[in-house]
Amino acid sequence: MDFSQFNGAEQAHMTKVIEKKQMQDFMKLYSGLVERCFNACAQDFTSKALTTNESTCVQNCTDKFLKHSERVGARFAEHNAEQMQGK
Amino acid sequence: MSFLFGGGNRSVEGSVDPAKIEMAVAELDMITDVFNRLVNSCHAKCISQNPSNHRYVEGDLLKGESVCIDRCTAKFFEVNKKVGERMSAMGSAAQATGSFGR
Repeated sequence: MDFSQFNGAEQAHMTKVIEKKQMQDFMKLYSGLVERCFNACAQDFTSKALTTNESTCVQNCTDKFLKHSERVGARFAEHNAEQMQGK
Repeated sequence: MSFLFGGGNRSVEGSVDPAKIEMAVAELDMITDVFNRLVNSCHAKCISQNPSNHRYVEGDLLKGESVCIDRCTAKFFEVNKKVGERMSAMGSAAQATGSFGR
Protein backbone atom coordinates (compact mmCIF):
# COMPACT_ATOMS: atom_id res chain seq x y z
CA MET A 1 0.00 0.00 0.00
CA ASP A 2 1.12 3.46 -0.80
CA PHE A 3 0.65 6.21 1.75
CA SER A 4 2.78 8.77 -0.04
CA GLN A 5 -0.29 10.85 -0.90
CA PHE A 6 -1.26 11.07 2.77
CA ASN A 7 -0.51 14.14 4.80
CA GLY A 8 1.04 13.93 8.26
CA ALA A 9 -2.24 13.79 10.16
CA GLU A 10 -3.59 11.06 7.90
CA GLN A 11 -0.41 9.03 8.20
CA ALA A 12 -0.54 9.33 11.97
CA HIS A 13 -4.17 8.22 11.90
CA MET A 14 -3.35 5.23 9.68
CA THR A 15 -0.51 4.22 11.99
CA LYS A 16 -3.00 4.07 14.86
CA VAL A 17 -5.48 2.08 12.77
CA ILE A 18 -2.74 -0.36 11.74
CA GLU A 19 -1.57 -0.80 15.33
CA LYS A 20 -5.09 -1.59 16.44
CA LYS A 21 -5.53 -4.07 13.61
CA GLN A 22 -2.23 -5.73 14.41
CA MET A 23 -3.44 -6.29 17.96
CA GLN A 24 -6.70 -7.76 16.66
CA ASP A 25 -4.80 -9.94 14.16
CA PHE A 26 -2.60 -11.21 16.94
CA MET A 27 -5.57 -12.17 19.10
CA LYS A 28 -7.20 -13.86 16.11
CA LEU A 29 -3.99 -15.73 15.35
CA TYR A 30 -3.80 -16.90 18.95
CA SER A 31 -7.36 -18.18 19.18
CA GLY A 32 -7.15 -19.66 15.68
CA LEU A 33 -3.99 -21.51 16.57
CA VAL A 34 -5.52 -22.85 19.79
CA GLU A 35 -8.49 -24.16 17.82
CA ARG A 36 -6.36 -25.61 15.03
CA CYS A 37 -3.92 -27.40 17.33
CA PHE A 38 -6.57 -28.52 19.78
CA ASN A 39 -8.54 -30.12 16.97
CA ALA A 40 -5.44 -31.73 15.50
CA CYS A 41 -3.87 -32.91 18.72
CA ALA A 42 -6.36 -33.46 21.54
CA GLN A 43 -7.59 -37.02 21.09
CA ASP A 44 -7.58 -38.73 24.41
CA PHE A 45 -10.30 -37.73 26.86
CA THR A 46 -9.63 -40.37 29.49
CA SER A 47 -7.60 -37.77 31.38
CA LYS A 48 -7.83 -34.05 32.09
CA ALA A 49 -4.18 -33.40 31.43
CA LEU A 50 -2.57 -33.39 28.00
CA THR A 51 -0.67 -36.60 27.39
CA THR A 52 3.02 -36.40 26.49
CA ASN A 53 2.14 -37.16 22.87
CA GLU A 54 -0.53 -34.52 22.79
CA SER A 55 1.68 -31.89 24.27
CA THR A 56 4.51 -32.66 21.81
CA CYS A 57 1.90 -32.49 19.07
CA VAL A 58 0.70 -29.07 20.23
CA GLN A 59 4.25 -27.78 20.29
CA ASN A 60 4.95 -29.11 16.79
CA CYS A 61 1.61 -27.86 15.51
CA THR A 62 2.29 -24.34 16.81
CA ASP A 63 5.89 -24.25 15.56
CA LYS A 64 4.91 -25.58 12.19
CA PHE A 65 2.02 -23.19 11.71
CA LEU A 66 4.13 -20.16 12.60
CA LYS A 67 6.86 -21.29 10.20
CA HIS A 68 4.23 -21.92 7.55
CA SER A 69 2.72 -18.51 8.03
CA GLU A 70 6.15 -16.88 7.96
CA ARG A 71 6.97 -18.53 4.66
CA VAL A 72 3.61 -17.60 3.13
CA GLY A 73 4.17 -14.05 4.40
CA ALA A 74 7.55 -13.90 2.68
CA ARG A 75 6.07 -15.10 -0.63
CA PHE A 76 3.17 -12.68 -0.20
CA ALA A 77 5.54 -9.76 0.35
CA GLU A 78 7.59 -10.77 -2.71
CA HIS A 79 4.45 -10.92 -4.80
CA ASN A 80 3.34 -7.50 -3.58
CA ALA A 81 6.74 -6.02 -4.31
CA GLU A 82 6.61 -7.39 -7.86
CA GLN A 83 3.11 -6.01 -8.26
CA MET A 84 4.25 -2.57 -7.10
CA GLN A 85 7.15 -2.52 -9.54
CA GLY A 86 4.90 -3.54 -12.42
CA LYS A 87 2.71 -0.49 -11.90
CA MET B 1 1.61 -6.68 8.26
CA SER B 2 4.37 -4.13 8.73
CA PHE B 3 6.25 -5.53 5.73
CA LEU B 4 3.68 -3.94 3.44
CA PHE B 5 4.24 -0.43 4.56
CA GLY B 6 7.40 1.57 4.30
CA GLY B 7 8.05 3.27 7.59
CA GLY B 8 8.06 7.01 7.19
CA ASN B 9 7.78 9.32 10.11
CA ARG B 10 6.70 12.73 9.00
CA SER B 11 5.56 15.47 11.30
CA VAL B 12 1.82 15.61 11.96
CA GLU B 13 0.29 18.27 9.80
CA GLY B 14 -2.89 18.92 7.82
CA SER B 15 -6.35 17.56 8.40
CA VAL B 16 -7.67 14.03 8.09
CA ASP B 17 -9.81 13.26 5.07
CA PRO B 18 -12.27 10.57 6.26
CA ALA B 19 -12.93 9.29 2.74
CA LYS B 20 -9.23 8.69 2.12
CA ILE B 21 -8.87 6.92 5.45
CA GLU B 22 -11.91 4.79 4.75
CA MET B 23 -10.47 3.71 1.40
CA ALA B 24 -7.12 2.89 2.97
CA VAL B 25 -8.75 0.89 5.78
CA ALA B 26 -10.87 -1.03 3.27
CA GLU B 27 -7.75 -1.86 1.26
CA LEU B 28 -5.93 -2.90 4.39
CA ASP B 29 -8.82 -5.16 5.42
CA MET B 30 -8.92 -6.72 1.98
CA ILE B 31 -5.19 -7.44 1.96
CA THR B 32 -5.37 -8.93 5.45
CA ASP B 33 -8.33 -11.07 4.44
CA VAL B 34 -6.57 -12.37 1.33
CA PHE B 35 -3.47 -13.13 3.34
CA ASN B 36 -5.40 -15.06 5.99
CA ARG B 37 -7.23 -17.06 3.34
CA LEU B 38 -3.93 -17.79 1.64
CA VAL B 39 -2.41 -19.03 4.90
CA ASN B 40 -5.42 -21.24 5.64
CA SER B 41 -5.75 -22.69 2.13
CA CYS B 42 -2.09 -23.54 1.76
CA HIS B 43 -1.92 -24.91 5.31
CA ALA B 44 -4.81 -27.23 4.52
CA LYS B 45 -3.21 -28.31 1.24
CA CYS B 46 0.45 -28.56 2.16
CA ILE B 47 0.97 -29.33 5.81
CA SER B 48 0.83 -33.06 6.26
CA GLN B 49 -0.43 -34.59 9.41
CA ASN B 50 0.68 -38.08 10.20
CA PRO B 51 -2.21 -39.89 8.50
CA SER B 52 -2.35 -42.76 10.98
CA ASN B 53 -3.02 -40.68 14.07
CA HIS B 54 -3.42 -37.13 12.78
CA ARG B 55 -0.64 -35.84 14.95
CA TYR B 56 2.16 -33.46 14.24
CA VAL B 57 5.38 -35.43 14.53
CA GLU B 58 7.61 -32.60 13.35
CA GLY B 59 7.86 -28.93 14.31
CA ASP B 60 9.87 -27.87 11.27
CA LEU B 61 8.56 -27.53 7.76
CA LEU B 62 9.52 -30.58 5.73
CA LYS B 63 11.30 -30.02 2.42
CA GLY B 64 8.24 -31.13 0.47
CA GLU B 65 5.97 -28.90 2.51
CA SER B 66 8.14 -25.86 1.86
CA VAL B 67 8.13 -26.50 -1.87
CA CYS B 68 4.39 -27.05 -1.72
CA ILE B 69 3.87 -23.73 0.10
CA ASP B 70 5.85 -21.83 -2.55
CA ARG B 71 3.85 -23.40 -5.36
CA CYS B 72 0.59 -23.05 -3.47
CA THR B 73 1.06 -19.30 -2.93
CA ALA B 74 2.07 -18.76 -6.56
CA LYS B 75 -0.96 -20.70 -7.71
CA PHE B 76 -3.24 -18.82 -5.34
CA PHE B 77 -2.10 -15.50 -6.85
CA GLU B 78 -2.66 -16.86 -10.32
CA VAL B 79 -6.19 -17.94 -9.42
CA ASN B 80 -6.74 -14.56 -7.78
CA LYS B 81 -5.74 -12.84 -11.01
CA LYS B 82 -7.79 -15.15 -13.24
CA VAL B 83 -10.94 -14.74 -11.16
CA GLY B 84 -10.42 -10.99 -11.15
CA GLU B 85 -10.09 -10.96 -14.93
CA ARG B 86 -13.20 -13.11 -15.40
CA MET B 87 -15.18 -10.95 -13.02
CA SER B 88 -14.20 -7.72 -14.69
CA ALA B 89 -15.02 -9.25 -18.07
CA MET B 90 -18.45 -10.24 -16.74
CA GLY B 91 -18.83 -6.79 -15.23
CA SER B 92 -18.08 -4.96 -18.46
CA ALA B 93 -20.29 -7.33 -20.45
CA ALA B 94 -23.12 -6.72 -18.01
CA GLN B 95 -22.55 -3.00 -18.22
CA ALA B 96 -22.68 -3.13 -22.02
CA THR B 97 -26.04 -4.91 -22.02
CA GLY B 98 -27.32 -2.89 -19.10
CA SER B 99 -28.05 -5.87 -16.92
CA PHE B 100 -26.12 -7.13 -13.96
CA GLY B 101 -26.67 -10.41 -12.20
CA ARG B 102 -29.74 -11.38 -14.18
